[in-house]
Amino acid sequence: MSDDLLLPPGFDSLKAFVSDWTIRTSADRASYRDQSNFEELRRFYDAASPHLARALEYLDAKPLSVHNEQDKRLMSLMLTLAHVSLAQELQVEAEGTHALSRRLMRITSSTADH
Amino acid sequence: MTVPLRPFEPVGSDQLVELGTQPIPVTPYCDPGYFDLERDAIFRRCWLHVGHLADLPEPGSYIVRELEIASASILIVRGKDGVIRAFHNVCTHRGTQLVAQESGRASKFSCPYHSWTFNDRGDLHAAPDFNRFFVEKADCSLKKVAVEICGGLIYINLDAKPNQSLAEFLGPLKEQLDSLPCATATAFAEYHYEIDANWKLVYDNFQEHYHLRFIHAKSSGGAGTGPSNPFGYATKFEFIGPHRKEETWFNPDFQPAHVQGIAMNALASDAIKQGFPPLGNAEYLCMFPNFFMFTSSFFPFSHTVFPVGPRKTRGVFRFYWQGEDDSASQRFAREYSLAAMRDVHAEDRAVIEAGQRGMCSGAIKHIHFQAQEALCRHFFNTVDAAVQAYVAENRERRV
Repeated sequence: MSDDLLLPPGFDSLKAFVSDWTIRTSADRASYRDQSNFEELRRFYDAASPHLARALEYLDAKPLSVHNEQDKRLMSLMLTLAHVSLAQELQVEAEGTHALSRRLMRITSSTADH
Repeated sequence: MTVPLRPFEPVGSDQLVELGTQPIPVTPYCDPGYFDLERDAIFRRCWLHVGHLADLPEPGSYIVRELEIASASILIVRGKDGVIRAFHNVCTHRGTQLVAQESGRASKFSCPYHSWTFNDRGDLHAAPDFNRFFVEKADCSLKKVAVEICGGLIYINLDAKPNQSLAEFLGPLKEQLDSLPCATATAFAEYHYEIDANWKLVYDNFQEHYHLRFIHAKSSGGAGTGPSNPFGYATKFEFIGPHRKEETWFNPDFQPAHVQGIAMNALASDAIKQGFPPLGNAEYLCMFPNFFMFTSSFFPFSHTVFPVGPRKTRGVFRFYWQGEDDSASQRFAREYSLAAMRDVHAEDRAVIEAGQRGMCSGAIKHIHFQAQEALCRHFFNTVDAAVQAYVAENRERRV
């Protein structure tokens, strides 16, 4: 697939993050945050967070049930951002040790997985 | 119920001393004998929260719940007639556990051992070569367990003849539970944990705020503490029979970070759309013996603390929502709420386990609760009163 079709128009700057940061389930998104180092989390946060409000506005224009593959990728990136923002906005230097405790809180169900 | 944000006004210590001021013995938190008494005095007699109507969305839905403290496995079924029934998950032939799956859909349940098959009312429907047995099928039904619903929440009682209905047990909390978003929720998110600590020590951690500024300085982001309330103490306590609740304080000057703010705005919009108040100091319900419910629109979670052994516990957190996600903003906000609260709760684990190790080291005979740890003291008093009453009851029976 051409890179041009990965994300909806206007979100090209996030294309480089699609392969690693579009993640299927809430548990997997939490786990990917745990496995990423602080620099990786920072790069994703810095790239994605300025687009969050615009992305949600764009995605809210149609129901989730009719989202196409581009929309779904953008949604998934923003859902991963929900987890990554906690590392960047709240935990910051404590993120590494916090990850050790977090892994023991196992997400078993999420409405985002349905 | 949610009340408007306002500056912090503490509950005076003089209002709480009637609960007692004495040190609390450590033995009940460590001793296997005390744990056995709690099983018989409390967990085999009380109404226990085990699920939600969203677990049983349609006729044929079932769940299985393990209650390790009572060595019980409970099968809860919504029958073809829509009625919810609970049974011991035990085949009446040779005692084999009937259903291994945690949840599913079925109209009949077949024992894996000799294929005795029960219908959704618990009746023995078929059993191979049954004419060689010396018993009637009608006498082989699954053993029923009392089950009742309140606020969408499923409760069971292991007592064959509960001495109270669920409504009597919950008292005025019943009406509040019936009015919460949880009562009409049809979807949920969930996370679990296991921990090497006594169930009361775990439960206590989640009903006091004294530790917030030390353990949750990062994850709370300043929402629950502030200059006027540096410890994030509650603004009101209420004691309702064996249950208790508090009004938690939300810092009116809280300034969220960028993504946090977008998530909170989306959660607030969603609450307004569904007719629930979006802001304010939420109430935190601590329902005896092992269940919590937080009434916040931002973090509408419940927490059930299941005793496994004297020094082992598991917990289940759930976020109850009205319907499946129907928009991107709603999906994002729910994901954020789940992840953010999980971050907070993850921070508690290590310190609870450290508390258990210290308590059981033999170094100290007592611990201390300050006035603002009033919910912990009320909880201990309630547990110990139930245990002592049970001991006295058995002593009288033997005399």
